[in-house]
Formats: sequence, structure tokens, C-alpha cells
Amino acid sequence: MKWSYIGAIIIGIYFLFPLYVLFLLAFNQPDYTLLARYPTLIPVSITINNLAVSLQGTAFIDPLIKSLETATLVGIITLILGIPAGYGLSRLPRGLAYPILVLLLVTNMMPAIVIGIPIAVEFIKLHLFETVEGLALAQTLITLPLATFILQGTFSSIPGDLENQARIDGAGLIRRLFSILLPIAAPGIAAAFLISWMFSWDEFTYAILLIPFHSTLPVTIYSDVTRGNLLAGVAFSLVFTLPVIVLTLALQKYLRGEYLAGGIKG
Amino acid sequence: MKWTPFLLVIPAVGYIIGFSFFPTIDAVYLSFQDPHGGLSLHNYQELAYFNIGGSVLDTVLVTVGALAIQLGLGFVVASVLSREFFGKKAVSTITIIPMGVATVVAAITFSFIFETSGGYANTILHSLFGANVDWYSTSLSSLLVVMLADSWKNTPIVSLILLAGMSSIPKELYYSASIDGAGPLRRFLYITLPNLRSFIGVALILRGVQEFNIFALPLILIGDHPPLLTTLVYNLYTTTFPEVGLALAAATVLLGFILVFMGVVIKLTGGRSS
Repeated sequence: MKWSYIGAIIIGIYFLFPLYVLFLLAFNQPDYTLLARYPTLIPVSITINNLAVSLQGTAFIDPLIKSLETATLVGIITLILGIPAGYGLSRLPRGLAYPILVLLLVTNMMPAIVIGIPIAVEFIKLHLFETVEGLALAQTLITLPLATFILQGTFSSIPGDLENQARIDGAGLIRRLFSILLPIAAPGIAAAFLISWMFSWDEFTYAILLIPFHSTLPVTIYSDVTRGNLLAGVAFSLVFTLPVIVLTLALQKYLRGEYLAGGIKG
Repeated sequence: MKWTPFLLVIPAVGYIIGFSFFPTIDAVYLSFQDPHGGLSLHNYQELAYFNIGGSVLDTVLVTVGALAIQLGLGFVVASVLSREFFGKKAVSTITIIPMGVATVVAAITFSFIFETSGGYANTILHSLFGANVDWYSTSLSSLLVVMLADSWKNTPIVSLILLAGMSSIPKELYYSASIDGAGPLRRFLYITLPNLRSFIGVALILRGVQEFNIFALPLILIGDHPPLLTTLVYNLYTTTFPEVGLALAAATVLLGFILVFMGVVIKLTGGRSS
């Protein structure tokens, strides 16, 4: 009992301290943070001036919109490919479905930086370089296997009898899909969409290779910080992080080790 | 009718193969091309001038170090969360938060913590011991900063997997072991670890492959000195573009290490477990 609390306190400090630092940087006057020899560990001079200065103007709007567009597009492409695949896999015999899932998850492990360079060269020829559509197509590589896996699990949990009943009553595949399967699978579909959305929101490697100039938020934050524009980097980071933390907490029940472990364990 | 599920799977599989397999084969093939279009080891010989050996060593070091930290902390978090206590829900929520923080944001936050002058780590060290550390004075300590930042961001996923494993172990095993007089350490070594073998394997593969690919964190925290394989690839790519052969040769080396790593882990932790 006692050890649980000691462990819990250490864990709490470890996981929260960096966020606390981000908070201090964003809301303290720079004299006490960026410019200080030894920055203070307590909020001494709370101000929203940092954020106000950094977030005014349009420097921030363009990358934000690019990030939103890309993440939403990734979620949509993932579902368009992932829902049929997840359903198909759930109705295939296990001996066939399992190797296909493993194939999907293993290709997921190919390094982005290896795949990204030939894709960039190809995209320049196809005029997809520096476009949101091109980036979304590349990022879907990461999200599709995971989403397919989640959706396969969701569709598997729908009893086959329910579907057979509808089939006997004369409902075709499309009809069964919209009146039975999709409504029941809605939570799994939502989870697959949000997880894809979050992956894209965070993705850096494909973004810097495929949209290097007018990029998404992660790459913009990176170039702000390397150019010494530190306060802007911190302010953008905060805006960038808060919604995703909220999403993560909302998704907590889907972030389960069993999902991840089952994929390889089988 | 039997074919419908099969047809539904084809678009996704085709997409993954088209966008992942072909570019990978393309990358490996192009890396063996010399500037005149013939096949040769030209690019690989050239890599020797860019400290490829050092990058390989640093990459392996970061991978092993970060995996060790994440597994260690992951076990602590999972053991705490596998017990019942008041406030458990709050603690388990806190342990998930870093998953929602973008890698770039984690990198920037840690760069402020470990700044040589004006860093928060030095504030703490200074007020406790009056000491001041230059975190980037050696390549080992710079890499340690990268490992710490990476572990902060990625311990949650490791602890989720280990927790799933721990909750699958029957409680009776622990009861009978403690009746037989086994202490916490022996219970951990003889019950927890063997039963978690496949879960540890999953965590190692999932994280290990990402560790080899670690890119945004070192790029922001240390630039390309000391170089890792990914930052070397990126550096070669941006400096020699549109000639990408050299970058792809380094990328192929990275790919080789990842494939070997996956093979070793699958072999060690038993891919055919129940």
C-alpha cells in the first residue's frame, strides 16, 4: 500500500514536470524563464503577453489549417480503406486473416525516412510535392494498419448470427453495412478515426520530407525554434498540445495494451 | 459470396504494398546506383567519409539505452497500476498524458530543461548542490538527453502493454508463491518475467523499431552532432538533393539494422507463443 503511493508520487512528478516547464515558459515573463541564468521553478510573474504577441498575426494560422486539413484527410482515407479491410478480415478464416494483418503491421515498421525519400522524388514528378493530399497519402501508411487492426477487432465482436438473420431477410451487403454493422461498430470507427487523426497531427518525418516549405505545425514549430524564435515555438506548442491531451484523455479506454499486444501475439 | 471479404481487403493491402514495398525496394535499388547509372558500391564507399560507423554506434546506443529506460520505468508504472489504491484512476490518467504530447513539443520542452545556461535541470542541480552541468559537453551525455526525452514520451505505451500482460497473470500464482516463501524479487523473477515474455517482446519490437527511427527528437535536441542514422540520412538528403543516392545508402543501412533487430527480438522472445 505504502509503496504504491511512493511509486505513484514519483511517477506523477516524472510525467508532469515537463508539462509544468512548458506552462512556466508560456506564462511567465521571459526575464524569469528564457533570459534567466537559473529560471525559476515557481510561477512568479504570470502574464498572457507571451501568447498574445506570438499568436497574433497570420504566421500561426496557415500551418494550423494545414495540420487540421492533413489530419482530417488522413482520418477519412484511413476509414475508406480501413472499414472494408477490417470487415473483410473479420469474416475471413483466421488462417488467412492473421498473415494479412501481420503483413500490414510489419510494413508499418518500415522507416519513414527510407520510404519518404523515394516518395518525395516521385511526388515532385506527380505534382504532389508540397501538397496536403500528398502528405496525407504518405501518413496513411502509418495509420491504416493500426486502424484496420482496431476495426477488425470491432467487427469480429459483432455476432455473425445477427448478420445472417438480416441476410435471410433479404438485406444485401450495403444494406447490412448501413443498418446493422456500421451503427454497432460506431465506437470502434470513432476510435480508429481519432487515433489516425492524432498520429497525423504529431507526424514529423513525412511532413518535413514532403512539405518542407509551408508545412504543418510540427515542422513550423521546429523551424521557429531553430531560427531562435523561441517564444513563438513555446506558444504554438501549447496551442498544439492542449487539444490532443484532451483527446487522449477522452480516448483513454481505447488506448489499451491488449489492442497493441494482440496484433503480434495473435 | 465467399470472395466478398477477400475483395474488401484488397484495396488496403494494395495501398500498403504500393506505398511501402515499392518505395522501399526503389530506395535500396537506387542506393546501389553510381552517378553514371551502373550498379556499384560507390555510395557505400562514399559513406565512410561521413562517419557512418559513428552514426551506427550512436543509433545502437540510443536504441539500447532508451529501451532499457522505458522497460524499467514501464515496469514501475505497470506494477503500481496493477494494485488497487485510492487515487489509482488519477495516476493512470497522468501516465497517459505524454502520449498526447507531440514529439516536437516534447523535444522543445526537454531542450529548455537541459539547456546548458538557463536550463531547468541546472536550476534544480544548482539549488541542491551548487553544481552546473554542461549537458552537451560529450556525445554520450547529449545522447542521454535524447534518451530521457524519448523515454518520457514513450514510457506510457510500454507500461500499457506490460500492464495488459500483468493483468493476464492469475493472482493464485502469486498467492501460492508467497505461501511457499518467495519474496517480491523472486516472485518478479520467477512469475512475472516468464509470463510476460511475449508482452515484453511486443513492447521491444514496437518501441525498438521506433528507436532506430528516432528523428525529430535528436534533430531538435542535438542537431546532427553526434549523428544518428536518421539525422545523417536527412543531412545527406538536404545537402545533396536532387542526388539522393548517398542518403539512400545510409537509409538502407538503417533498414538493415531494423530488420536484423526485429529478427533477433522475435527469436529471443518466441514468436510462436500462445
